[in-house]
Amino acid sequence: MKRFLSGAFLLAFTLSVLLPLLWALMSSVKPGSEILGQPWALPSVLRFDNYGRAWGEAGIGRAFLNSLMVTVGTLIVLLPIGAMAAYVLAKYAFRGAKALLATFLGGMMFPHFLVIVPLFLLMRDLRMLDTVYGLIVVYIAYSLSFTVFVLVGFFVNLPDELAEAAMLDGCGHAATFWKVMLPLARPGLIVVGIFDAIGLWNEYGLALVLLPSEANQTLPVGIARLTMTQQYQSDWGALFAGLVIVMLPVLVVYSFFREKIHETMLAGAVKG
Amino acid sequence: MRGRGRTAFIISFLAPAVLFYAAFVLWPLVQAFQFSTYRWRGLSARMTPVGTDNYRQLWEDQAFATALKNNLLLLVEAGVVIIALALMVAHVVRGKGPVQKFLRSIYLFPQVVSMVVVAVMWQFIFNPQGLLNAGLRAAGLDALTRTWLGESAWALPSVAVAFVWYAVGFYIMLFAAGLEGIPQEVNEAAELDGSKGWHRFWHITWHLLWSVKRVAVTYLVINVMNTFALVYLMTRGGPDRRSEVMLTYLYEQAFVNSNFGYATALAVGNFVVVMGLSLLILFLFRRNPVEARA
Repeated sequence: MKRFLSGAFLLAFTLSVLLPLLWALMSSVKPGSEILGQPWALPSVLRFDNYGRAWGEAGIGRAFLNSLMVTVGTLIVLLPIGAMAAYVLAKYAFRGAKALLATFLGGMMFPHFLVIVPLFLLMRDLRMLDTVYGLIVVYIAYSLSFTVFVLVGFFVNLPDELAEAAMLDGCGHAATFWKVMLPLARPGLIVVGIFDAIGLWNEYGLALVLLPSEANQTLPVGIARLTMTQQYQSDWGALFAGLVIVMLPVLVVYSFFREKIHETMLAGAVKG
Repeated sequence: MRGRGRTAFIISFLAPAVLFYAAFVLWPLVQAFQFSTYRWRGLSARMTPVGTDNYRQLWEDQAFATALKNNLLLLVEAGVVIIALALMVAHVVRGKGPVQKFLRSIYLFPQVVSMVVVAVMWQFIFNPQGLLNAGLRAAGLDALTRTWLGESAWALPSVAVAFVWYAVGFYIMLFAAGLEGIPQEVNEAAELDGSKGWHRFWHITWHLLWSVKRVAVTYLVINVMNTFALVYLMTRGGPDRRSEVMLTYLYEQAFVNSNFGYATALAVGNFVVVMGLSLLILFLFRRNPVEARA
């Protein structure tokens, strides 16, 4: 009886987690009028053209490319400079090293909205407001805390002897890093890269404020805008296709790397 | 690490990260505290220093009080449900079996999906013609149907439900790891003493989860106090500010009303509340009850 009850509870809970996601998936191939007309019914016909309209007319294709550009652009700069800083902070003792690390980690404590007004005005003065590269620069800066935090953990655990041996062989500090230590930290770079990528792909608040014009919008902002504009056109089919386009890449990446992601989440939580 | 060119190496490797961080994180942070002492409307360059006026206005601002109250309500409502639910589920799916691991990873789906997707999906679930009302009608419970997000009594609880759905997976993982960390001997000793079920949970397990509980509560405070997208997209803080939270109010003041000075004061106010609650948690969890007894 007890086993049965806990099994039933677990089933009910699992279904309620999955239900909204599966409902969104089903609605994305429904004729728009049935999404609110008969929300529980299976689609009367499969409307895969919802995806075409979402991608084209509704502007989700352009937003997808913007998001891709912003995410990849951020990672290309963020990972090398984050790794460089993390390596020095993990392996080189110098005055102020602890304070500098604490300053970086402190960035994880406060919400972006604390600085949203000064940041908005700063970007405006630098003429980087409403530019994709402006958002990339901001994303790099705000992802550094977490990136440095995880990578310091990786570099600390690499044995010093490896770097010392490389330097005895005539490598300079920088060559030792690029040729020996960075390749060894690859698992860490992958984990932190995936984490950052998911977070950046999903980010809303900063993108909303810093990229006002429609042509530059990233996926989350584009979807949010679509929710409002579709109130007049009621093409709910395209909206739900858009929702699936936002979440599918993330869920696929997550499913591939879920073990690593769980470990990092818990490590962050237990230390933090 | 030693060797020639050490100082130059350290500086050159730190410089890029430090420059980005100083220019776009630290500098705006300093400015935030400074701006909050100015009256500054619109995009004009005219800033009038007003000392603590913004903070005095904040103290008397009914809308801010409502937003803060809603944040705290959300924290309590969603927090209690999340912790109770996460504990129960974690109890069933703890352990290293493949099924357990698979289920735990499913529960994190909502967490890796963008908050925007979560908000839009739940907006449609709570739509008067949406999934929830249609389900209630099909079950013959027409009397329970509501315009959920449009009714002042139901808007905030509806947002709380969406928040629980989004957040609970992380806490399941956390508590599953915590339960996993309880030494086998403790459970065996409890077994010998005849402590079972609820008795064992309240008298033994609950206390041993001390550090996990502290982490869970801290995360809850930070997550709830920083809620923006969920409320902004589901209800816009309405109806009549009944679901307004601090950050949606801040957004309105800054980017709808262009009250930049006052909005930064709001941001600082939000920050102070989060710090205050964090200190309270540190105080409440100041001693590990288990260690104290040992």
